[in-house]
Amino acid sequence: MISTYNAGLFAEIGILILGALSVYVILSTGQLSLGNAGFMGIGAYQTSFLTVEAGLPITLALLVSAIGCAALGFLVGFPALRLRGIYLAIATLGFGEMVRSLFLNLDRLGGAGGYHGMKSISGVYIWSWTLGILVAIMLLERSRLWLEFRAVHDDETAAGLVGLNATAIKVGAFGLGAGIAGIAGGLFAHHYLYIEPGNFGFERSIEFVLAAILGGSTVAPGAVVGAGLLVLLPEWLRFLADWRLAAFGALLVLMLLIRRQGILDRTTFSRLGLRRRAA
Amino acid sequence: MFLQQLVNGLTLGAVYTLVALSFSLVMGILGILNLAIAELFMIGGFVGFSLLVSGYPIPVALGAGMLAAGLFAIVIERVAYRPLRDAPLVTPMLSTLGFSIILQNIATNYWGSDPLQLPGYFLATRFEAGGVQIGAMQLVVLAATIILVGLLALLVRRTKIGRALRAIAENRDVARSLGVSANQLTMVAFLLSGLLAGAAGVLVGMHYTAITPYVGVDTGLKAIAVMVVGGVTNIWGALLAGPIIGIAEVMTVAYGGSQLRDFIVYGIMILILLIRPQGLLGEARAEWSQRV
Amino acid sequence: MTWSPLQNSRAAMIAAVAAFALASFPPTPSAAQTGEIRIGAIVPSSGPFAEWGRTNTITLQMLEEEVNAAGGVNGAKLKITIYDDAAKPAQAANSLRKLAGDDQVLAVAGPLTSSACEVAFPVANQTGVTTTSQASSKPGVAAANRPWAFRNTVDEAVLAKVSVPYFQKTFGIKSVGIIYDAKDAVSTAIATRIMPGVMKENGVQVLNADNLLSFNTGELDVSAQVTTLKSLNPAGVIIGADYSQAVTVLREMKRQGLTVPVIGGTPLISSAILSAAPEIPVVAPATFYATMDQASAKAFVAKLQPRLRASSGLPPEIEPSMYDANIYETVQMYIEAVKSAGISGKPGELEAARTKVRDHMTNLKNFQGLAGPISFQPTGDAAKAFYIVQGQNGAWSTKERGCSAAGGC
Repeated sequence: MISTYNAGLFAEIGILILGALSVYVILSTGQLSLGNAGFMGIGAYQTSFLTVEAGLPITLALLVSAIGCAALGFLVGFPALRLRGIYLAIATLGFGEMVRSLFLNLDRLGGAGGYHGMKSISGVYIWSWTLGILVAIMLLERSRLWLEFRAVHDDETAAGLVGLNATAIKVGAFGLGAGIAGIAGGLFAHHYLYIEPGNFGFERSIEFVLAAILGGSTVAPGAVVGAGLLVLLPEWLRFLADWRLAAFGALLVLMLLIRRQGILDRTTFSRLGLRRRAA
Repeated sequence: MFLQQLVNGLTLGAVYTLVALSFSLVMGILGILNLAIAELFMIGGFVGFSLLVSGYPIPVALGAGMLAAGLFAIVIERVAYRPLRDAPLVTPMLSTLGFSIILQNIATNYWGSDPLQLPGYFLATRFEAGGVQIGAMQLVVLAATIILVGLLALLVRRTKIGRALRAIAENRDVARSLGVSANQLTMVAFLLSGLLAGAAGVLVGMHYTAITPYVGVDTGLKAIAVMVVGGVTNIWGALLAGPIIGIAEVMTVAYGGSQLRDFIVYGIMILILLIRPQGLLGEARAEWSQRV
Repeated sequence: MTWSPLQNSRAAMIAAVAAFALASFPPTPSAAQTGEIRIGAIVPSSGPFAEWGRTNTITLQMLEEEVNAAGGVNGAKLKITIYDDAAKPAQAANSLRKLAGDDQVLAVAGPLTSSACEVAFPVANQTGVTTTSQASSKPGVAAANRPWAFRNTVDEAVLAKVSVPYFQKTFGIKSVGIIYDAKDAVSTAIATRIMPGVMKENGVQVLNADNLLSFNTGELDVSAQVTTLKSLNPAGVIIGADYSQAVTVLREMKRQGLTVPVIGGTPLISSAILSAAPEIPVVAPATFYATMDQASAKAFVAKLQPRLRASSGLPPEIEPSMYDANIYETVQMYIEAVKSAGISGKPGELEAARTKVRDHMTNLKNFQGLAGPISFQPTGDAAKAFYIVQGQNGAWSTKERGCSAAGGC
């Protein structure tokens, strides 16, 4: 019988995995998004509104808001095409902050007072979504579409020259990532039963990126390791009391130094016998 | 009220300019976003404050704050950046994030989480002219900003080091083949950005007379916006963009509703990124496409 | 035998995964030694409110020592387990689960911030553990989470009903301007929902009612907001903010020459705010402050203050805060519950014991707090005496006394 403490941690990890995956999907086309917490927030508020005020069952509400977030992701993806690299990252940062500011001002959904009324969901339910989406992405990774993603990531111009529609791929990735982040948000809202705009700021966006990079930004299951570490480390470091956060920061730096590609990468993954080698 | 708000906007803009410059020194030359700059700003402020409260004169406090921030900047360069300089940009960026967490913890443990306040006489002298008030400290901040920006511009345009920095920024490999030591210059860039951030911290602290370990967070994000609007590659761009953003923010508060101001600031930033990505005074550069 | 780099990294990987799995295994809850009364606490010892968390910790350590030196509770030793939530809601929820499940405590004192309470209180109901906040004053947080959630604080709406009339009468205020911290829920509630109504009831006009001025937590520059405020020419200013942010506003007010009286909620109470602009009178409600003139309060300060000042992580002029008093009272209430219900701390009785503690809290009447008697209302908030205090020239002075229960305290 799993203790309630560990159950809570697993639920939190499940949600963070989705957040990390949302960044991973977009990053695989060479775009870094520092604003996915904005999509998470939109998903959280949307899902909560649907279950609390429109009386929808949770699964339907999640699907509806995932589609809504994905649509917004597509919309964001288009202007994002004009930017590259760190400038795109900064633009997404601005987007995330604007979304947070929007919710802070939206009194209809609680504003700074937050939104209540959600009914609790189980850790098992959360992980069904997590595993479902993780498996879906891993399957996607074996598909031709993923090769196109990687091609655009590696050299967009060349990809265009061989006939790939880089625009569709990049915008599509944004939409997909946004949808996943939206689901993470909806699950977050129904796990904690209270949301406020402060939950969805830059700190959260960076947490997603950290989980993706730390765990391994070239394979989807990296998100699992990254999310696990980010949730569990602060708990394991409790014994350090006043220096807990500093130790966490130091460990982050250390981990990035020792293994910059993240903990899981393609070779490690295949060596663990968990993946067939690419021919 | 309008003129007074203009003055407010200029002062706020000066703060943003200094921090934005710290960001752009590293980003313009190395392409990475040093997320610890906001905390260097904060640490410089705290060190300077501690000295001021203990009765040391302002130049000493300023120097100490700059030095403290500069030293931490060098540590960050050595530990967070240099080993990772060939990795995708996101990795050293996250490494600097780790340092920002460490610095916040150090500040909280050493100085506490409550605001550290300067004695009231720091607020004393004010000048008034035609209904507009401006404090002596405010003038110092404005003047110091212009001087620091000028010094930096001088350094970059006229000195050997400055030329080398620009060379590395233009094209690292060519510069190296011409004998420029990339490692040394990276250190210089980080050091300069640290010194500047530290100076900003002390000046800003003196003007607002209160400081907390979390003072860098919001200012840092807005300074990134200022850096982008002004143009990462141009120092005078930050001097232009700072007041623009500062005044925009202030006017939104005064006439539009204080709640809209984050929206407006980031909205301006995104607009510039979409319409003129190199910023108001920047030049288009190839390595924007640098892989993240 | 030396391993190749390949094998090294593979081994490291397997080790990492194994460690991860092992560490996630539920630890065997340490066998409750016969005769141990366990109470939990969640305080923010790191992060933006680290000082409060650290003073809370020292307060609880002092209480634990006192109680055990006097023979414990029902002959059993008192053990207070304190976790840090860094003021983050997720960590507060995790800490509460850990205290409830792994540490098997009878009751929990904390969390401190309203944001953390909003998330931890539902967990209290899920796990069936009495949880009492020492600081949350955002309206309705406990009420939405009955029966296991309590708050040893008074709702800001109730406090305003006494502080505003005093403010209005004392300074002859006819008009005010409002400025608040938009990122903070309590501050926003005070400034946008509570104060405007109460001001109106007292015949005071809110000059910027359609453009309430706000800033964000941590922001340095509020010059634009204060200039706008000043241009309205208010007779008084409402600051809806925590004292660290209020200091910034007060200094800016002083800088710009807007030296009119200020009123706010309990988050203003501190010694820091007294040095921000000493000539500006600051009116706020408090259930306790360090220089109070009551015997029990004085005794508390006399034993706690030296400990606080001796601590290396805290500033030398620190004083016990309202939150220290509240958490001290809370755990004392729990101890009283344990004593009167005859709980012995034996394993196997945990659920029954927890229910007894909860019932004791629900029915609490006239508990001797540090500043007066305390009971709990059906909303879960405390019915306790509070004081309207005025801070000026570096000190707080008590002006009025109020009570948060309709029938008096």
